Amino acid sequence: MQKKQLKKTQKGNFLSIIVDGFIWIFLIGTAAFILAPLVFMFTASLMPASDVMKMPFPWIPKGIHWQNYWQGIRGNDGSFIYIRNILNSFIVAGSVTVTTVILSAITGFGLAKYRFWGRNIVFMMIMATFMIPFEAIMIPLYLVITKLGFQNSYQGLIIPFLVNAFGIFLMRQYYITFPDEILDAARIDGASEMMIFRTIIVPNSIPAMATLAVLTFKSQWDNLLWPLLIVQSEEMKTIPQYIVRFISEKHTDEGALMAVASIASIPILILFLRLSKYFIGGAALFSSRKG
Amino acid sequence: MKFSFLKSGVEQKKSRWGLFFVIPSILFFSLFSFYPIFTALYTSFFRKKLLSLNPPDFIAFQNYTYLLKSPDFWNSIRATAVFTIGTFIPIVILSLILANFIVSRKKFQQFFQMAYYSPAVLSSVVVAVIWLLIFDPRGLGNQVLNFLFNSPGVDHKFLANSVMVQVSTMLVYSWKYLGYFTIIFIVGLTTIPQSTHEAALIDGASRWQDFWYITIPLLKPTTVLVSVMSMLQCLKTFSTQYLFTQGGAPMAPINVITLNIYHTAIRDHRIGRASAMSVILFFIMLIFTWLQFRVSRSEEVSY
Repeated sequence: MQKKQLKKTQKGNFLSIIVDGFIWIFLIGTAAFILAPLVFMFTASLMPASDVMKMPFPWIPKGIHWQNYWQGIRGNDGSFIYIRNILNSFIVAGSVTVTTVILSAITGFGLAKYRFWGRNIVFMMIMATFMIPFEAIMIPLYLVITKLGFQNSYQGLIIPFLVNAFGIFLMRQYYITFPDEILDAARIDGASEMMIFRTIIVPNSIPAMATLAVLTFKSQWDNLLWPLLIVQSEEMKTIPQYIVRFISEKHTDEGALMAVASIASIPILILFLRLSKYFIGGAALFSSRKG
Repeated sequence: MKFSFLKSGVEQKKSRWGLFFVIPSILFFSLFSFYPIFTALYTSFFRKKLLSLNPPDFIAFQNYTYLLKSPDFWNSIRATAVFTIGTFIPIVILSLILANFIVSRKKFQQFFQMAYYSPAVLSSVVVAVIWLLIFDPRGLGNQVLNFLFNSPGVDHKFLANSVMVQVSTMLVYSWKYLGYFTIIFIVGLTTIPQSTHEAALIDGASRWQDFWYITIPLLKPTTVLVSVMSMLQCLKTFSTQYLFTQGGAPMAPINVITLNIYHTAIRDHRIGRASAMSVILFFIMLIFTWLQFRVSRSEEVSY
């Protein structure tokens, strides 16, 4: 009897070891599939084009071919416009991040902690913009921005993204649970509402603001469609547009192309490695998003 | 409310501050969300050319009737639908499996989460150029497939064949967003109390039964959320398809609706027609967003 039992558990163990092994192989295999193109980008960026397109692909560069990076930054026409385009991306993504965080925090705070006439209407109005995808309004938005004369300018790139419904919603949910007593105590001590916001609210919502900041920065760093519409001059283009231009040029060197892509990815990857909990927390936030 | 006439000056001052705090956002949304969506609707009834000095002609529903008869527009609808269905189903199934596998591990959870998430932080443009090189006839894609199927020298025409180029865009998109949705599933999984699983296992359920009869039903809200979110994401796809066509892939199979709007407005200068397409896209997405809100409210699970 006991022997039979033992045999059964051994069999169970054997099966669970196989299942366990399968799960490890699946997870590691998927990780390899997901990371391989990233590794490919970085190794190819250090190889001459002839090696990038070699069959089979030599995963380890023979020497370090820094010329790719030089070529990528210099551009095929030697104009060094990529440096300016990188700067533009930083300016645009940085400004949008700052305004989104500040405006979302202020509006979210106002909606969470003050009672005023029409508050619910305002909140519903803002939530309604959730349902307006950017892609559906980009053409009229383009007409508005051109009418304002903001084509080919930082204003034109930044203004449509000053704040968004998701940010306001996120901050409001965060503030709603904040104890009113602390705010009242500060008021009794004579703090003005602006001072309360600056000295109590902002320092206490750094995690939420950081999450919003990294998500906003990432989405702006990625933005291609809007700059394509609004920017025509080479000086005002952003990184994604430079890559588009680089790829459509004849005789583009594959190694240099990967160098350009690597340069575009390094800032955001550093941000991801340093602040991964905010990135991952940001993705997780969506799962708690309720209507 | 009964004592509202007693409302102190402090309360009134507070309510003024509240309004003050929200006014910048109200102004912003009025000008850059509501005004454009109404303009899109309005413009869609006109024949309007970009850069034209003539006043636009009112043509009522002609833009819409034109689109409904245009094979090019239906092709875009088809391309978008095929892309959306072909992308979100593998994403949902795979990320569900991966999330369960990751949660079942005692070690390296953090590593797998970060590794899977990493493509999601890259720009879509960077992702597209990496895969353009992988899909090159001499590239890694052919090498790996030929190694797996032991078929040396076969070119799978990732970017040239009209079916393959669609599969390629789906693969690229799934690759980018798989980890993102895996994370959402992991959060959903961790909200299922451990005691529920333990109860099932004590009652003699196998791991498989625990997964099939406990995890899957309790995870339904997350699954619905991930499905709708990934669908909405796919409907808006632009960069991958744009880059692929710039890189030499044929346009027709992957001419998704956003790409079509962009070309109609910027290349053909037909603002009215592009607006009509935007309005149609808006309504398609509205249906899905409404579905998401409804579903996320009605599918709450309580323990």
